[in-house]
Amino acid sequence: MSRALASYRVRLPLSLSVTAILTAALMALALGLQTLQNLRQDQIRDAQRLGHAMAALMVEALRHDDVWLAYSLLRGPDRRDAEIVWVAADERGRVLASNQPRRFRLDEPVGEAFPWLAERAAPNGVQGTVLEPGGDAARRLLRIPLYSEGTRVGELLALLSDAPFLARFREILLGGSLVTAAVLALLLPLGWLWGRRMVTPLVALADCLGRVGRDEVHALDCPIVTGDDEIGQLGWRFTEMLDALAEKAALERRVIQTERLAAVGRVAAGVAHEINNPLGGIVMAIDTYRTRPERMDVQTRDLLDLLERALCQIQGTVSALLVEARADNRSLVAADIDDVRTLVQPRLTRCGTPLTWHNAFSAPTSLPAAPVRQLLLNLLLNALEAAREGGWVSVEVGAADGALRLEVRNRGRPLTAERLAHAFEPYPGPRAAGPGFGLWVCYQIASQLGGEIALDAEGPMTCARVRLPLKPSVTNG
Amino acid sequence: MTDRSRRAFATSLLALAAAAISPRSPGQTAPSATLPPDQAAPPLRFGVTPVILDEQVGFLGRWADWLGTRLQRRVILVQRARYREIMDLLLGGRLELAWICGYPYVQHQDRLELLVVPVWHGQPLYRSEIIVADDSDLHSLADLGGRLFAWADPDSNSGWLYPRFALARAGEDPDGFFRRTFFTWGHPRSVLAVSEGLADGAAVDSYVRETLIQHTPSLAGALRLVHRSPLFGFPPLVAGPAMNRRDRDRTREVLVAQAEDGEGRALLADLNLDGFTVEGPALFADIAAMAAQLGREPAT
Repeated sequence: MSRALASYRVRLPLSLSVTAILTAALMALALGLQTLQNLRQDQIRDAQRLGHAMAALMVEALRHDDVWLAYSLLRGPDRRDAEIVWVAADERGRVLASNQPRRFRLDEPVGEAFPWLAERAAPNGVQGTVLEPGGDAARRLLRIPLYSEGTRVGELLALLSDAPFLARFREILLGGSLVTAAVLALLLPLGWLWGRRMVTPLVALADCLGRVGRDEVHALDCPIVTGDDEIGQLGWRFTEMLDALAEKAALERRVIQTERLAAVGRVAAGVAHEINNPLGGIVMAIDTYRTRPERMDVQTRDLLDLLERALCQIQGTVSALLVEARADNRSLVAADIDDVRTLVQPRLTRCGTPLTWHNAFSAPTSLPAAPVRQLLLNLLLNALEAAREGGWVSVEVGAADGALRLEVRNRGRPLTAERLAHAFEPYPGPRAAGPGFGLWVCYQIASQLGGEIALDAEGPMTCARVRLPLKPSVTNG
Repeated sequence: MTDRSRRAFATSLLALAAAAISPRSPGQTAPSATLPPDQAAPPLRFGVTPVILDEQVGFLGRWADWLGTRLQRRVILVQRARYREIMDLLLGGRLELAWICGYPYVQHQDRLELLVVPVWHGQPLYRSEIIVADDSDLHSLADLGGRLFAWADPDSNSGWLYPRFALARAGEDPDGFFRRTFFTWGHPRSVLAVSEGLADGAAVDSYVRETLIQHTPSLAGALRLVHRSPLFGFPPLVAGPAMNRRDRDRTREVLVAQAEDGEGRALLADLNLDGFTVEGPALFADIAAMAAQLGREPAT
């Protein structure tokens, strides 16, 4: 089967058409055969009735050898339309009369015209016997024996054939064909239309299914038809499957990111500890050495100062990696939030960036004050940094669903997708250590407070959302 | 009392009652020629044999009505399947008159009286003709030997006596010449028998054949003449023993005058006849001679 024929788009309408044509043909055949059967039975019945009606007079004609009486009986009112060939024969089987006198001549043996007549024994019944010579149902012979006072005086033979029906049959066939053609002319386009309607969603589904795995789930954009029928339910299921796939993919991305950040955190913490311990020793050694100023000349002192500054810078950088939300801090209150605003006020004044501040948080919480202050401050400083060129910044703080929500928006320099994807990784960029670790620190604080942080960007708009549970399960690590 | 005569009696009683209740007004005098037939007088029974066009019942009925009007007698048409039956009725006094063939006339000349003889093609004469199907290979009476042949009636001159006479004269045995013969009991049927192939040949009345062809022109092409007889006296209308002289004269008078009457002429045209004439028995001498020569044929 060719590929075109394999598609249901073709097979369904084709099946419909074939079924319709087949049904019509079989119906016509069945009706035709039934009609033929009925016509044959009617013909036999008519011939029997006619034969029995003629029998008495025919006996008379046979007894008196009255050829004309016999002929006028068989001839009927109009010889030309006779559907049945009648032959009257005497007791010796010779023709007395027929309505086809040229074919069945007077006194000729009937057996010459019907050679197969001799095959059967002469009938005894008065109802007449129907023979089908050679088993051919199209030709039938009705034999009606004629009796006069118990003596058989002859026989009436009626030769029946389908010939009279043929014209009627042609009419029936023609009429049937026309009706069938008309019905098909209506049904076929409907069938094609219906088939296409049924198959189009299936084809779309198949196309879409073929793209799953090749393309990204959210980029599939499938025109799936949903509804109550089986195909519609298939559409529903498929849509659900796509949604589940998209969700799973997002989950996987989040898990991977979380794991990566956790791994980076562990490495950073490990490295920081390994560096901090010897660093502490070196700084302490330098301090001890400086307690004896008599040992140092000016050059040495400058060198030590230089070393100390460099080591302090290293220590600062390393401690920035080691973010720890200490539980022993006091709890967060609303004033802590407003303090952050106060802290950035000098900077706001300097660069003139408009700040919208909305603090709906009031109740004291179980959250530690310092990490949250640092978190908000970092986010705010980032936003101010990004909004420098004529943008704005807004901060919203509130509590809902048992969590503290911080939302910092800005309009300003757009974030690249690359930057967004690695937003929470420690990123010592071209600037000084502090800001490069800003979001990293935020992430670490949020994680340690059992909360979540997310960064969205759309064009010049950037939005950082933090959610911190108010009864946090603080984990150190 | 038969059904018919009972009805006739009731009808005449009604007519009498109607005449008594509404006496005819002085202006309503009808001429005697168009007076209705006298219902009270015994009707004239007119026998018609199948020699002529006896199957045109409607036409014959109109003719009988016309006759009745002229004779001021009711005329009843009597038709029988065989010549012989009409002859028996006529000779038995149960018919007043009949239209019969010349052959039975010459056989019973002593008890019958000629009324009139029809005039056809200007003379009271006709022929016997032997016809075959036009598509057959038969060209003479001799060719019909061993074939199927249809006689009209054993009391017919043209359909029985003459062809047998012709065969005998030719030295053939009229009973053994054909393979098989049968009677059709009428000339029109003999024509049908040949045209439809039931018989190979038939002897028919030339008047009947021509009249049939006038009615059914397609017959002309289906038939072919292979033999024609000399002219014989036309089948006459004869009076039987039951008809009195007065009725005979009156009937003869009316029939002879039929051609002069408008309605009568129309009826004659339907009959394909010119009129009726009075002839003597000498007109049928030829038939009598043939009958004498062949002897009285036994009827089958």
